[in-house]
Amino acid sequence: MNAVRLAAVDGADRRGGWRPGIDTRMATLESAIASLLDRHRESIAATDRVTIAPDVHYPFHPSTGMVTDPAVVGAIAAWFDRETDTDLTVVGRSDDRIAFDRTASYLGYERVLDRFGTDVVDVADESVPQRNEYRAADGRSVALSVPEPLLDRTVIVVPTLRPSADGSAGGAMRTLASLVNCTADPARTAVAATRAIDPELVLLDGTIAYGRDPVAANVLLSGSVPAVDAVGTSLLGRETDENDALSTLLEEGETPVAVENPDEVDLASIRERLSGGQLPPTDETHPAVSTAYRIYAAASGDAVPPQLEGR
Amino acid sequence: MRSLLDVPWWYVDDNKARSHPVLGQMLSQFRSRWTASSALSIGVLGVGNIGMVHLKSALAMPGVEVLAAADAVPENRNRAERAGVPRTYDDYATLLASEDIDAAIVALPPFLHAEAVERAAEYGIDVFVEKPLARSTEEADRMLETAERAGIAVGVDHTLRYQPDMVGVKEAYVEGGVGHVPYASITRLNDGPLGRPPADAAPPSWPLDPDAVGGGSLLELGIHCFDVLEWLFGDLEVRDATMGRTLEIPVEDAATVLLRAPETETTITLHCGSYQWEELPEVNTRLRLEGITGTISNRDHLPGNFYASAAREALSNVASRFRDGEPNVFGPTFYLQAHYDALEDFCDAIRENETPPISGLDGRRSLALAETAYDLAAETETDELEAPEVMS
Repeated sequence: MNAVRLAAVDGADRRGGWRPGIDTRMATLESAIASLLDRHRESIAATDRVTIAPDVHYPFHPSTGMVTDPAVVGAIAAWFDRETDTDLTVVGRSDDRIAFDRTASYLGYERVLDRFGTDVVDVADESVPQRNEYRAADGRSVALSVPEPLLDRTVIVVPTLRPSADGSAGGAMRTLASLVNCTADPARTAVAATRAIDPELVLLDGTIAYGRDPVAANVLLSGSVPAVDAVGTSLLGRETDENDALSTLLEEGETPVAVENPDEVDLASIRERLSGGQLPPTDETHPAVSTAYRIYAAASGDAVPPQLEGR
Repeated sequence: MRSLLDVPWWYVDDNKARSHPVLGQMLSQFRSRWTASSALSIGVLGVGNIGMVHLKSALAMPGVEVLAAADAVPENRNRAERAGVPRTYDDYATLLASEDIDAAIVALPPFLHAEAVERAAEYGIDVFVEKPLARSTEEADRMLETAERAGIAVGVDHTLRYQPDMVGVKEAYVEGGVGHVPYASITRLNDGPLGRPPADAAPPSWPLDPDAVGGGSLLELGIHCFDVLEWLFGDLEVRDATMGRTLEIPVEDAATVLLRAPETETTITLHCGSYQWEELPEVNTRLRLEGITGTISNRDHLPGNFYASAAREALSNVASRFRDGEPNVFGPTFYLQAHYDALEDFCDAIRENETPPISGLDGRRSLALAETAYDLAAETETDELEAPEVMS
């Protein structure tokens, strides 16, 4: 499967590009979500258990496009609740910055998913079994520890359309890599994680995307991991061959990525608005600035502000 | 309409206390350590973000000697030691019991302010307390009553009024530059404890814990705005308020308050929030006074280019060193300078046996305004939630 299918989300009534009410957003998303999931009904509804993996790496406001909108995941949960008897779980992972349950709660995931009886699981929790897997990446075997809910269940990845801190597109591979434990470099980890988890589907949240600023792109994309990540990378104005992990998976594809665009979403316009975007600069003071300030302080007798001390 | 509570029964102005036989004796006893020739000895309780700013200010301040700092976090203690503090403690109570200090800077989380001030009072140590003074007026009252009985001075770190742009607004207003001001607005926004991308560090949990802090943005940012508005317009009355949450967090991250200043007949809107990404050196603090002949804006008193301004200040400080002058501490940073000036004013007041320029009572008054705003917002919310009566 190397086709990416697009579905337009009606954004005409969104003043400022954003509706704060999650029920309103879910209602707006219902037909677009259904149009994408209906095409995969056989494969995803036939399984008893499905795991959804959104991009919930930090509680940034969903209107920024920096995280997957809980309304998108809520609309997916509503589709499963309506159309199937599938047991649905939504996963994320605590890291050294913030506990996943805090992020999920602040973003409203827990509240919306509670309506459908969907579990929200922190895969870093000790109670979640992990399995050691070995996958080839860039000609080498990579060892990784993968949470069982990502191995034993059908997985749908729901990333958001945004750049990452290193400048490349966020995407499905990066979202999957964030859920496993692996000591390999980021590119090999992403390849090995994608191969080990082997998701059934990617559903990219492009309702609000982040370029240099938030952009109400009002689009959802679905398809395989490399296909969706390739289109996402292109929309963010990056070259796919600049992303080692993505290049590795794309080279394995037998056919080029095709885009099915029945709603005639204006991709050129979205690309123009997102292109070249990157995250805001870090607050961390550049070492050269810290050094210069210390020299100045020594010469003048002034104090060095703690913010300019550097680490 | 709500009015502020009257001055509590126990409150005695520090200057009046000196004429009170008992309090005056206590003050005299506690303050006998300071002489014109000796340095004011300081301990810093809490050396996290703002505590380190105070510590650096105190270390650079003429006539002030920092003897010790306390913090529960080892990395913070290490930073304080690297900055030049002779001794550090993992517990502020031990510092207060062990060190012979004249004043303590209380830069602990708000839930520890009252306890720290009460401990300091046991040893007759004056205190400079980070804002908000307390989590509630009730807690502030207990704290200030203890301080009053012990004869210690309480200052509060409300720094907005020390910022050069706010000073510029006040000067233009006092000079009558725009005539009568029927309307003013103040906005203070930042990205609060959760920050903005890229999220490099773990956000602290206590700023989002209502039990630890007493509230959200209104107590974190709005409290500064109340202080600067009273400094400009005199006593304020809260007429209405609304609180908002852009995320499902336990405290408000947006607050809007409608105020009235009876003395100047000025209606004021205040909006503060911790929801907006902040990219330093740009800081989103806006104060506008709409007068008959024009507008006074703090933006007119900010450097046109922060980096050029910083370079000028830096050169001026270096040149001053060669003339044996004192540097304008934190001058190149523009905003941090206000913290230095606020602490310096507090220390000067302590040396002169005067009431700190921003006293505990000032801090309490800002808290009372915030509490009234919370009450009014809750009333409005309750009214909105009540189902309308349906007539058939």
